[in-house]
Amino acid sequence: MRRSIYAGHGTWRNFGNLGLTEDEIEEEVENETVQLVRELVELPSRACRQRIRGLPMNFNERRNIRSQVFSAKLSKKSRLPTCCTDFSEQASRSFRRFGAGLVTARRFLVIWQNTLKEIGGTFGTSVLSYFQFLKWLLMFNVFSLLINFCFITLPQIIHAPNITHATGFRGLELLTGVGYFNQTVFFYGGYDGEVIETPPPYNMQLAYFFTMAAYFLLCGISLIYSMAKSFQTNFVLHSASVSGGAWRLLCSWDFSVVNEKAVQHNKNNLCVQLKESLSERIQRRAVLSLSERMENVARHLLSWLISVLLAVGCCAAVYFLLQDQVVSNISQDPDNLVTEASTLAVPVVVSLINLVVPLLFSLISRVDQRSNPRTKIYINILRNVLLKMSILGILCHHWMTDVPTSVSCWESYVGQSVYRLVIVDFIFSLFGSFFGEFLRNIIGTKLIPSLGVPEFDIATNVLDLINAQTLAWIGIYFSPLLPVIQFIKLFLIFYLKKVSLSMNCQVPRQSGRAAQMQTVYIALLFFPSYVGALSLVAYTVWSLKPSELCGPFQGLSRPFQAVQDWADTVQAIPGSQWISWIFYNVIKNELFFYLLTLIVLVLTYFIWQVAQGRKQLIRTLREQIANEGKDKAFLLNKLQSTQKQRRPSGISISQDVSTVPSFTQNWMNTFPLDM
Amino acid sequence: MGTTASQLPKELLSEYQELTFLTKQEILLAHKRFSELAGKEDRHHPNPRVPMSKILMLPELKSNPFRERICQVFSTSDVKDGSLSFEDFLDLLSAFSDSATLEIKSHYAFRIFDFDDDGTLDSSDLEKLVNCLTGDTDDTRLTAEEMRQLISNILEESDIDKDGTVNLSEFQHVISRSPDFVSSFKIVL
Repeated sequence: MRRSIYAGHGTWRNFGNLGLTEDEIEEEVENETVQLVRELVELPSRACRQRIRGLPMNFNERRNIRSQVFSAKLSKKSRLPTCCTDFSEQASRSFRRFGAGLVTARRFLVIWQNTLKEIGGTFGTSVLSYFQFLKWLLMFNVFSLLINFCFITLPQIIHAPNITHATGFRGLELLTGVGYFNQTVFFYGGYDGEVIETPPPYNMQLAYFFTMAAYFLLCGISLIYSMAKSFQTNFVLHSASVSGGAWRLLCSWDFSVVNEKAVQHNKNNLCVQLKESLSERIQRRAVLSLSERMENVARHLLSWLISVLLAVGCCAAVYFLLQDQVVSNISQDPDNLVTEASTLAVPVVVSLINLVVPLLFSLISRVDQRSNPRTKIYINILRNVLLKMSILGILCHHWMTDVPTSVSCWESYVGQSVYRLVIVDFIFSLFGSFFGEFLRNIIGTKLIPSLGVPEFDIATNVLDLINAQTLAWIGIYFSPLLPVIQFIKLFLIFYLKKVSLSMNCQVPRQSGRAAQMQTVYIALLFFPSYVGALSLVAYTVWSLKPSELCGPFQGLSRPFQAVQDWADTVQAIPGSQWISWIFYNVIKNELFFYLLTLIVLVLTYFIWQVAQGRKQLIRTLREQIANEGKDKAFLLNKLQSTQKQRRPSGISISQDVSTVPSFTQNWMNTFPLDM
Repeated sequence: MGTTASQLPKELLSEYQELTFLTKQEILLAHKRFSELAGKEDRHHPNPRVPMSKILMLPELKSNPFRERICQVFSTSDVKDGSLSFEDFLDLLSAFSDSATLEIKSHYAFRIFDFDDDGTLDSSDLEKLVNCLTGDTDDTRLTAEEMRQLISNILEESDIDKDGTVNLSEFQHVISRSPDFVSSFKIVL
């Protein structure tokens, strides 16, 4: 019954229809207010404040409720005066003030606030989600840049600026990363594993290892956290899907769009979508014939076959190119400019594949007709991810098996390869937005008007970002300052995409489901991207022999041995045995990991069971609501027929009904479902 | 910012902070924009009201198809002219802010879409809603047949208790299945 006072002044008029007088209505509202205040007084002060803030009333009513609650609390407290509650009240108030201060401070730190608002105002929430994703990645890189610089690079620079320039600066290094940069702190080879003796002693090997471990751990935690959070809000609540989307379209109006043209554009899109959903509904009733279904299956199979063949072909090309390069690398003089430039062949080919093949995939997806546009998007994403990840897989396989045996300072070599990939990928994405979107715009507006202005393809752009971030994660062990490049790259891409968006592109027509796509992107960033990079780095640290002539781990059989040696030395120091105990009984113990896995599995099973139970509950509750609705309609009919029977002449009633046409249908709605 | 801060007394500011979802900065910015709208003549009035026509000149609302409904819903004016006092204005911004709860947002969305203020969305409300969304030009307007079909679809999907209208609970139920709603029901100054 409580809701009726929230529903605003409009409902009161309807009570009037029921024959209630003004006084009765006022009394009713008064009663409800008293009830509400009583409820609120019982709550702890923090929950009470949140409840009041969340009451759907206007400001003055909320203020009124608040003062009533406050005075009720005061009178209650005067009976039980304790210094304890006073203290907790004061503590909570100062804590709250501190929290508000933190929120304000965070507001100041947020970059691009106005730019993001502008983008959201012109292109809507779905395009905005791309830029927010970009910003989120940027934050990751700033963080890794900070910890890498503080814990690895800075001590190394202070201790021994171990830079011996074999060659002068020629300019090509900016692209290739070799030559001038070869022995700098940019790459693994620029560090050495000595213990810096200045008190307190600083062990570079351990610093290198633990910084990387901490970075990957924090990245993993933050990814899992954001993935779970966005999954919870965007998928779990949505689990009960409805047949049509017409109603959802209506409540998806983007209030943040303020640009006049964009508003008009959104209106047109919405109109088209509504018309489409209507015609789809009619079409769906017509069942596909057998031959049509066969044709569809054949199309799906053919498109998958072509895309898999394309991906395999690209991988093979990269593989043979790499084999070729190893041979030529060994045979030729390293200081030759031509040799140096030839190292750019692999990154250029890889970036070219990443640029061209997705376009082919989108052509293929035109042949491959799907009734559901979302399935189409997901399939396209799946194909792109398969391609990009298998190419990265080939590259990693090459770095892990061929390079360590043939190159002297192989970690730096891998770091340089990743550096080249990152740089060339950046250049290609510059050209991609300039030539791709700009030329497409020119063609669409000037030459072939039927094509129209290109849409901003969020999926492809996000996948490019994920690909770039995977590279950055892979490279971080081999080139600790790679986040600098990644930071600059993302920063420039932000502005580039913004300009390209406003000059060349239009808002994507299918704009729905932005929130769910965001979850998919974070999941993709976690699963093939982060997990792949992590396992690669872990494999390097655990099993590969570090190069003997350079780097912090020179002379060890594998980098992880540094930690083992440290645990052994620590054991000798009294009072620190627990570190080596943890090392031998937890980290080096299979049983521990076995138990951990078992516990996680059991927990997952329990939670899955709970989720199943909840689903069942939701289904039952929904049936109950439908039944209650039927009851309501039944009772309403019964009431009407009884009224008619009572006054068979019924002149006054029928007049009443004719003057208030909404009477029969609407008045029951003023009572909420939970009456 | 210093000048605007001095205009709002400290205890009032903290009360605003406690009763709305806005941060201190947002309240101060809102106050600044509101004073600009109110103009000089009303500045000495203790609680000035800004007429709807002036509120609609805000760039954030100017091209919104629901701008007039928004003003009417948030207005506490006795003559129902859609004029806003500063507190109404804060209410508006608070409901459309990032940190407002889903319940508040869906409540106000419901009232904005409820054109005749009768507490339910019936077919005439839905028709007005669709017209607002698709625009008034002839080529975008839906035909009568399409409109009828659309409204029956909407009711079929969301009218759980089958009484021919959508009430607040049913509306909130639909909203809870549309995860984009929270991010798109947003106006930031």
